[in-house]
Amino acid sequence: MKTTHPPISRRDFIEKSVRGAGILAVASTAMQLETRGRSADSAANAFAYDVGSLAKTDPALLKYEEVKRFTVPGSEPRRLELGPEDKVYVATKNGVSILDRDGGPLGEVVSSSPARCLAVAADGTLYVGLRDHIEVFDAKGNSAAVWEKAGGKTWLTGLALGEHDLFAADSGNRLVLRYDRSGKLSNRVGQKNKERNVPGLIVPSPYLDVTLARDGLLRVTDPGRHRVEAYTIDGDLEFSWGKPSNAIEGFCGCCNPVALASLPNGKFVTCEKGLPRVKVYGADGTFECVVAGPESFQENAKRGSVHDLSDGTMGDLDAAVDSQGRIYVLDVVARDVRILRKKS
Amino acid sequence: MNPDSNPKPMVTRRQFLRNGARLTGMTGVGVLLGLVAGKSAAAGTVWQIDPQKCVRCGNCATHCVLEQSAVKCVHAFAICGYCQLCTGYFEPEPNELNTGAENCLCPTAAIKRTYVEDPYFEYNIDENLCIGCAKCVEGCNRFGNGSLFLQVRHDRCLNCNECSIARVCAGDAFRRVPAAHPYLLKTMSH
Repeated sequence: MKTTHPPISRRDFIEKSVRGAGILAVASTAMQLETRGRSADSAANAFAYDVGSLAKTDPALLKYEEVKRFTVPGSEPRRLELGPEDKVYVATKNGVSILDRDGGPLGEVVSSSPARCLAVAADGTLYVGLRDHIEVFDAKGNSAAVWEKAGGKTWLTGLALGEHDLFAADSGNRLVLRYDRSGKLSNRVGQKNKERNVPGLIVPSPYLDVTLARDGLLRVTDPGRHRVEAYTIDGDLEFSWGKPSNAIEGFCGCCNPVALASLPNGKFVTCEKGLPRVKVYGADGTFECVVAGPESFQENAKRGSVHDLSDGTMGDLDAAVDSQGRIYVLDVVARDVRILRKKS
Repeated sequence: MNPDSNPKPMVTRRQFLRNGARLTGMTGVGVLLGLVAGKSAAAGTVWQIDPQKCVRCGNCATHCVLEQSAVKCVHAFAICGYCQLCTGYFEPEPNELNTGAENCLCPTAAIKRTYVEDPYFEYNIDENLCIGCAKCVEGCNRFGNGSLFLQVRHDRCLNCNECSIARVCAGDAFRRVPAAHPYLLKTMSH
């Protein structure tokens, strides 16, 4: 017997279509939610490298407080130094930005390539370390001299001024170059030398710093050994201090500290990368206190130490000390300078 | 009916079927040509990770369609510092700097540490053990030179049209690259 389907009315057709569309919409939404849930699950990384507990500083150890912060005007700031009248000098991509102590712009000195480190004499003479040589500018910012390249794999990362000398930390050749003020190279400090019992600096990445302390000895970072070494200006190794540890009293990661500064009382300020932190050590290397911990440099801490492979690593901090013993900290990632004073 | 007007000729069922078959045939040929052209273009490219964009999210280890991910850690020795305390090899707070499992970061012991000379050590990846979790990559990038990084290994990758890792990549680091240059390697001027 032939069966006949009842005719469907337009109203029925529309009604069934709407029902079908509704069912499809519900199914689609459920699928979307399932996918989002999966994304949320994947956000929880089962293989996370967890240094969260190290990123918080014991408040009892924080002996400094921030009193001011300002942004650096030039791009790619790398190092800072304080000059006469506590003027702030910042090495940048274009040269050196000169600021007053509140961060107000005073001028700019343009160098022939990005400035990587600097030193300022009491008369305002400015020594700027470029990648492989040093340029000198008078107090008015006029070019005074361009020193000869040191040769080899020179990669300058730190400068320190003595009474008659300029010391240049050469991370590429893993040593400190000693120049007289006219630019004549007279000695190499920190170079491996068994006869003088100098083991040689370990510099895994372009971070090497030098400062001339009030006791007349150079302090040179040895980041691969996680320590600070004291040398005479003639190159004899006197003593060293520091140990590898992510704990607050040590130097973290594979290569730290990255920067050094001397305090008026003979103590030292150190800066670390990876876990960005600034600390104070006594003259004998005893850990004293924290100036600023990783929680103060959140963007820097997130970014890690590597973010410009074509031009060396640039994820660090730098510090300098003014005439009142206040510590100026440059955060390269945040492009700002913080001024911190000791809590009363 | 006006005898001067030209009535449209009737289409017979035979003609209709013939025309339909022709149209279907032409469409099929077009689709086939399109597929072949598309497949040729896909065959010229492969998936790769841009190491500058990688955020070490861990998804490479868990989202590949293969049982063991096609993504592996590779090592740019020219960038490596050969550190005694390698933050890609050791836990953030190791008890000692030796090869004891409790001190090592890699969950599958895929990194081999070899003494070179005091105080340098070389680190090699055993790709048969590496699962592409990027834990070592994060340690190396956070503290060190970033010489450890992830790459899609093309002796393993199936080159899926829609890579299941790329779909969930937190850093949007997956992209297609020419098969003639299938790797995005790190270099450094220092």
